[in-house]
Amino acid sequence: MSFRQLDVRGEICPYPMMKAVQALKKLTPDDDGLQVITDHAPALDTIPTQAARLGFQTEIEETGTPEWCITIRRAP
Amino acid sequence: MRAESESRTPETKSVLVAFACSLGYTEKVTFEKSVRLGLLALAVAVAILLLATGLGGEMALFWAFGMAFGFVLQRSRFCFASAFRDVFLLRHGRNLKGVLVGLAVATLGFGVLMSQQVPFPALGLLPQEANVLPLGWHVVLGGLLFGAGMVVSGGCVSGSIYRMGEGYIASWVSFGGILVGLLAAGYTWNWWWRVQIADGARLWLPAFIGHGGAIVLTMAALVVIYLLLLWWESRGGLVIPDREFDAGNEETFAGKLNNTLRRIFVHGWPAAAGGAVLGGLNVMLFTAAHPWGFTGELSRWSIGFTNWLGLGPGALAGAADLPGCTLEVGGGGILQHMFFLVWGMVFGSLIGALLAGEFKIRLPRQRTRYLQSAGGGVAMGYGAGIAMGCTIGAFFSAIPSLAVNGWVFAIFLAVGAWIGVQIIQRIQ
Repeated sequence: MSFRQLDVRGEICPYPMMKAVQALKKLTPDDDGLQVITDHAPALDTIPTQAARLGFQTEIEETGTPEWCITIRRAP
Repeated sequence: MRAESESRTPETKSVLVAFACSLGYTEKVTFEKSVRLGLLALAVAVAILLLATGLGGEMALFWAFGMAFGFVLQRSRFCFASAFRDVFLLRHGRNLKGVLVGLAVATLGFGVLMSQQVPFPALGLLPQEANVLPLGWHVVLGGLLFGAGMVVSGGCVSGSIYRMGEGYIASWVSFGGILVGLLAAGYTWNWWWRVQIADGARLWLPAFIGHGGAIVLTMAALVVIYLLLLWWESRGGLVIPDREFDAGNEETFAGKLNNTLRRIFVHGWPAAAGGAVLGGLNVMLFTAAHPWGFTGELSRWSIGFTNWLGLGPGALAGAADLPGCTLEVGGGGILQHMFFLVWGMVFGSLIGALLAGEFKIRLPRQRTRYLQSAGGGVAMGYGAGIAMGCTIGAFFSAIPSLAVNGWVFAIFLAVGAWIGVQIIQRIQ
């Protein structure tokens, strides 16, 4: 499995979501998906919806206080 | 630190578990660092409350109100910038629905209060403290500048204030920009007063259609906007619902208490819940003194300070006679009741963020972000200065005041937010 990494820690609203969407659009068929590392809680609501609209599904894992890793992979 | 966080499962982590345990269990009670700091901050807040009581009862009351507003803003991530922005950017109305709920609650409460203050509205009297403000091009330009500024800087005035408490450094920069923008509005106030504000009509709906009519009309308009929003969302594609609350299924008292505490202090509130509570708090504040709003107070800091230096805008024509968040010239020292409201909001948010484990000093890596925050802040400050309020004073407290200026500001706020979306999509 090869996931592209995107670190948007420190970013202001709404760039974590916008950068994630941009990265998703740039994925090649070789990539299995994208992992977004963020400390911006509102992105946990916006990224899954935008990813779903592009045909991806997401999984959120809490990796710190406050830090999350959002794993986005192609919907089967 | 790392090991500690890995051993936790999301949402069940909380040390509030331990707090619940402390009531009935003998297990060793441990608190996470951020919760310990949150309880410490709470103790400091109580100490300030006692000190403020010594300074005068009103200061303590406003400190308590500020803390409540800040806490609820943080818990529900109540953000007016995203409410307007996401309608365009994501075709998504989650936060705007929360705003509508808050407006509906406040409209009912304000309506009852104002009907007691002015029993016969047709006679032409206006409620003294309600945010019924003069109409004119200043409201249009103010709304546009504010709407664009809040999207570019990533938060409106209340949004920046609660994110200051969450540790977003860019929001502190926005806050500085807002103070500068309000000062700039102060320098141009007398011109705006001469050409627009002095002769602007102050249209209060109950004067035309009575209290009941005005309340019904406002509520109907909110419902229509809600329906339009649903239609707009239905054309936007699928929406993943907010993360669900992961309730433990322990049937003990401690288990239930733990769920309740996590629901309030750890898991984010739905936007509609935040809106309803903020609307209710706004009615309570109006009952105690005047509607919620604080850009007048912020202007008092920057205009008062520059006036004290002898470099300020000086006297502001007519401003002292207008209600709401109209610019203030200052004087009377820094420690006034509204000072406690503003810093109470920052502190309430800080406590909420620490207890939830969401506090972190966040520094944007790109220099552009600081410029955006400062520039957006200046635009918001100037807009709020001439429109006599921000998304709170000129909108969230103005529409429930049954004032026409609230709706005019809202329309141009939305247009400004659309302009802001065009701008941020061009800044990487």
